[in-house]
Amino acid sequence: MLTDLLYENASARADEVAIVYRDERVTHADLLERTERLAAGLAAQGVGRGDAVALLLPNDPSFVASYFAISGLGAVVVPVNPAFKQDELDFYFRQCEVRAVISDERTAGVCERIVSGWERPAQVITTSSAHGQALTLDALMEAEPQKLEPRSPDEPLVYQFSSGSTGRPKRVARTHAQCTGEASYYATMGLGPEDKIFCAIPLFHTYGMGCCMFAAAGTGATLVVLEDPNPFLLRRQRAIELLEQEQATIFPGVPFNFRLMAEAPASADLSSIRLAFSAGTALPRPFFDAFLDKFGVPVRQLYGCTEAGTLTANMDADPVASFESVGRPVDGVEVRIEDDDGEPVPTGSIGEVAVRSPGLTDGYVDMPELNSQVFREGFFITGDLGQIDAEGRLTITGRKKLLIEVGGYKVDPIEVEDVVGAHPKVGEAVVVGVPGKVAGEEVVKAVVVPSDAVDERELITFCQERLANFKVPQVVEFREEIPKSPLGKILRKYLI
Amino acid sequence: MSVTADVEQFIISELSQGRDITTIDPGDNLLAKGIVDSHGVMELVAFLEERYGISVRDEDLTPENFESVARIDEFVARKQDGRG
Repeated sequence: MLTDLLYENASARADEVAIVYRDERVTHADLLERTERLAAGLAAQGVGRGDAVALLLPNDPSFVASYFAISGLGAVVVPVNPAFKQDELDFYFRQCEVRAVISDERTAGVCERIVSGWERPAQVITTSSAHGQALTLDALMEAEPQKLEPRSPDEPLVYQFSSGSTGRPKRVARTHAQCTGEASYYATMGLGPEDKIFCAIPLFHTYGMGCCMFAAAGTGATLVVLEDPNPFLLRRQRAIELLEQEQATIFPGVPFNFRLMAEAPASADLSSIRLAFSAGTALPRPFFDAFLDKFGVPVRQLYGCTEAGTLTANMDADPVASFESVGRPVDGVEVRIEDDDGEPVPTGSIGEVAVRSPGLTDGYVDMPELNSQVFREGFFITGDLGQIDAEGRLTITGRKKLLIEVGGYKVDPIEVEDVVGAHPKVGEAVVVGVPGKVAGEEVVKAVVVPSDAVDERELITFCQERLANFKVPQVVEFREEIPKSPLGKILRKYLI
Repeated sequence: MSVTADVEQFIISELSQGRDITTIDPGDNLLAKGIVDSHGVMELVAFLEERYGISVRDEDLTPENFESVARIDEFVARKQDGRG
């Protein structure tokens, strides 16, 4: 299963570099030893099979070792965006009934506060004892290495959360077999131990987890980790330098990364990159052209989702001609386009994208009704709209679900509406995405019917206190009423 | 109000909501603490341009200029002196 890949790499290429991070060169043997030590330390704290452990770390070797240690014990990794605010973290922790939280000094205090009131408080393990916490990762890693036992394919390995149109994010459980299934794709995409994968996207996100961490584990490639990638606007020059210096060959990014790098004042020789992938949201042609002009590297679109990981990738010999396409399904993945009745549409017609994949979750946790709607005959109905051409290439043309794309993140408007609507002076609120200053990017806008005198600043501050910054409305528009159809359906098109 | 105090107040009131931050030391690393993300940088740039009448160019967008309030203060001073 997934941790078997660590043993295979430590056996086949013990002294080769697994992770490059700042001045560190972590070999495959080192990574395995750190993982085994941490697993032993966690086990000594009572963490075991089925326990959920939240992981709030930035991209670094500790994240990778923690991820494999938790999963190697049969516990379940809950990777969480460290930018989340207390209410959001509280929601994730409670949903998963986390037994322990691994955090850095930035989030240790808030994690302590969240779990301290619980009947059976979770343990907070930190990367430093800056806040006086007794349990640190370093202390746990003093344990003697413990060989990790093989896990059952059906055991849950990771809990992630998927945005959607039904309120708060939905919990997605993926098993050892599903994650290992995804890890196996990358070798069939031509990645191997000689590759260096540049990691500038968050490992807590499905995209980084799959295309960086699983890909490296599955192929023996080296992970070149960009330290502190945020704010990328200030880190783009460092990203360019690191790509050039380490001669990275694989670069998974989001359109935002490619645009900012293309617009950076200085250039570099990035000819070592043989595959640059863009995912998360559609890559606008101007970004593709600008990156190609500046660095001579065509960016290929890749498609995936939280429920299944990577699904398709544009591996065409001429990616310039097919830049709009997200490519053909990767090995073992099936994609079909369905009409509203769930029937396949003719080639070239637009419909809803349905996928079947070895990496696909069995369903959302504790949501049987929704599962019966979106998981059918082994396929997951993604909510994205697309078409498949005569050569089998998929192009995403839009989306059926109401999601707002902000800087590579997907924002669920219903989640934001719940927060805005909770303000005591708001009668009704609807949240929509409106075009931002940059092509292809959106801005979150709240349309509000107030029940009492309230101003924009007050509402934005209210949201800032409860939501990660990328979800906070940048614009608030006040109206006397929300336009609705005769049947009461909100007419969002009149709010954009 | 000094640039340092002004910028500190802006960051506390506009960029660090929900993070339990009531004071910022001028030497605190805003990036390492996760106080300023990409959206925050743009808000900060807009604030500096409007408040101090300076122009922030692409090549100015580096961690060295924005990693702490003290660095931002120095950056604004250089810009105002025409040295940046």
